[in-house]
Amino acid sequence: MKGFVAAFFYSVLNLVLVLLVAPLFDGITRKVTAVVQSRKGPPITQSYIDLMKLLIKEDIEVGDSPVMQRFSALLSLAAILSVALLIPMGASAPLAGYADSILLIYLLTLAGTSVLLAGLAAGSPYSLIGMSREMMAMMTLEPLIAIAIIMAATHAASLRLDAVFGGAGYPGTHTPWSGILILGVIAFALQAFVGRMPFDVTEAETEIMEGPLMEYSGPKLALFKYARMAKMFVYTALFIALFVPRISTGFYLTDLLVFLAEQAVLMLVVTLIAATHARYRIDQVVRYYIILFILALLALLLAVLGS
Amino acid sequence: MYLLSKIRETILCLKAGRVTLPYPVNPRPVPERFRGRPLFHPDKCIGCAGCANNCPAREILIADQCQEMRVVMYLGRRCTYCGRCADLCPEKAITMSHEYENATPKIADIRQDLEIWMGTCQRCGRCFKNAGPLDQLMMKGYRFDDLSAELWVYRSRAYLDKEPVVKDIDIELG
Amino acid sequence: MLKEFLKKYFRRSLWVYHCNSGGCNGCDIEVVNVLTPYYDVERFGIKLVGSPRHADVMLCQGPAGRATASALKRAYEAVPEPKLVFAVGSCASGGGIWHDTYSIIGPIEKVIPVHFYIPGCPPRPEAIIYGVALALGLVEKKAVPMEYHPVKLPIVRYHPEDIHFQNGWPVYDRLEKI
Repeated sequence: MKGFVAAFFYSVLNLVLVLLVAPLFDGITRKVTAVVQSRKGPPITQSYIDLMKLLIKEDIEVGDSPVMQRFSALLSLAAILSVALLIPMGASAPLAGYADSILLIYLLTLAGTSVLLAGLAAGSPYSLIGMSREMMAMMTLEPLIAIAIIMAATHAASLRLDAVFGGAGYPGTHTPWSGILILGVIAFALQAFVGRMPFDVTEAETEIMEGPLMEYSGPKLALFKYARMAKMFVYTALFIALFVPRISTGFYLTDLLVFLAEQAVLMLVVTLIAATHARYRIDQVVRYYIILFILALLALLLAVLGS
Repeated sequence: MYLLSKIRETILCLKAGRVTLPYPVNPRPVPERFRGRPLFHPDKCIGCAGCANNCPAREILIADQCQEMRVVMYLGRRCTYCGRCADLCPEKAITMSHEYENATPKIADIRQDLEIWMGTCQRCGRCFKNAGPLDQLMMKGYRFDDLSAELWVYRSRAYLDKEPVVKDIDIELG
Repeated sequence: MLKEFLKKYFRRSLWVYHCNSGGCNGCDIEVVNVLTPYYDVERFGIKLVGSPRHADVMLCQGPAGRATASALKRAYEAVPEPKLVFAVGSCASGGGIWHDTYSIIGPIEKVIPVHFYIPGCPPRPEAIIYGVALALGLVEKKAVPMEYHPVKLPIVRYHPEDIHFQNGWPVYDRLEKI
């Protein structure tokens, strides 16, 4: 019973943390981008105001299937928040006793497919183009994080979340070649997971008018934007959980602050790369991911062989 | 190598600082010969209608109210601020000011209406020869515009019709 | 309710959809200039979006042409409430120099209702920011109509036979208005 209460308490805390801090991180991203571009950008709380403004807009429902539109809008935020419940943020993962890493991989893929559903439900030509590009990118990108989690599970010899997280990407005794290789792969792919600049070929682009999200307005768009901000938070948290050894001082608050500081550094690097690069075309993107996929398979092979 | 160049790019961008001008708070100066809104000076205008004849957007309308009164209406909606009226005016009654902050919720706020008190000939009241057919075609001098519909009338007439001379085009929209 | 509380955040985050229905692109360039670092309009929370369904403000430039009028109307209907329409440039405000050409119906107010006009050909980026600030309530309107009446008709006429003198000053018995 005590485990259940603690799990419930920490899961609520995790959810509140993601919901409150994700727009702040997005605001900091916009401000840093503005500083790099030598201008005064929007205030840091601008993302909160954007979300609040979207809630009072009229909800226009046109397209092939309004029911599916509603479902995909809710699914996008719900899937990301479910992933947030499985990642340690300061404390150990709240639902670690009730789930394992296979569920984590499934939920991550589900969060990625919500954009595909969104594009299909809208049905306009721009949405379909955006959706097909996202599908191409996702097919070569999602396996990377799955391989990283499975490799950590191989090293820890168990699929339990407590064992997989906490820097288990590197085995203990000798030079962890596979660990370093997979760290490099995921570091280069982090920009793509969070959907920022060189790789944001599907969302937020003026070429195909925001792609799959084109036909959504008002509260549904607020859900999609919130899901995108939460995705940044959750993927950086996942990166830290997989590769950075956990420092626990025993107090929840200091652990949390250390965790947020690590995330802020990672987010700063992501933002700076995003501000200084141009967008890749879809064929360049797929080629990039395929090279990373081959390297990741190589890392998995090395891990299985014991290195 | 590539990474180094990107880092150098970031540092270069940061060197420029924040170049944003605090515009609505501080006013911005304009160059010397900037053409803003034209201002009509009613005391200098002699009612020659030179500006109206040459406005490329046909935005200045002229009509005679009675024998002694001529109305000059500058509706500012289509004005392209070209400055032709100011160039032509023989009395320099039109100046292109430096005002560019003309945004408004009602477009009728940019109008300038002038009523010019014309001098009359002491003998006959109005000493203009009647416009012959050629002059009527060339719209020189003295003409009537349709003030209620705010349209230029292409042919000079001595009286106004009840219905506008140029009709709008009817298009089915969607 | 919740809506009343959230309504005051509307003016701090406006998403703009830029629509050109037949203009020469001069005002297009000035609008894009407004987003550059010098005149940065993103500090007011304004963002350029690619789809009318995401937008709050429709920034129209160019007059309404015969072929583009129905498209303009459809784009206006695709913007969700609450919405604002800005007409940027002389062509959108009154038809511009093309108002009587063969392919132009007129200003965009013949097709969609307009809330703010920003005249100019093209308007300076400062003028566009001024228009935006006027809509947000940060500055006051400067354009006022000017009317000049030297003499108010009808003119008072005096009949000589009704003048008589009193203490050396003329006094008029009857003032008739014509």
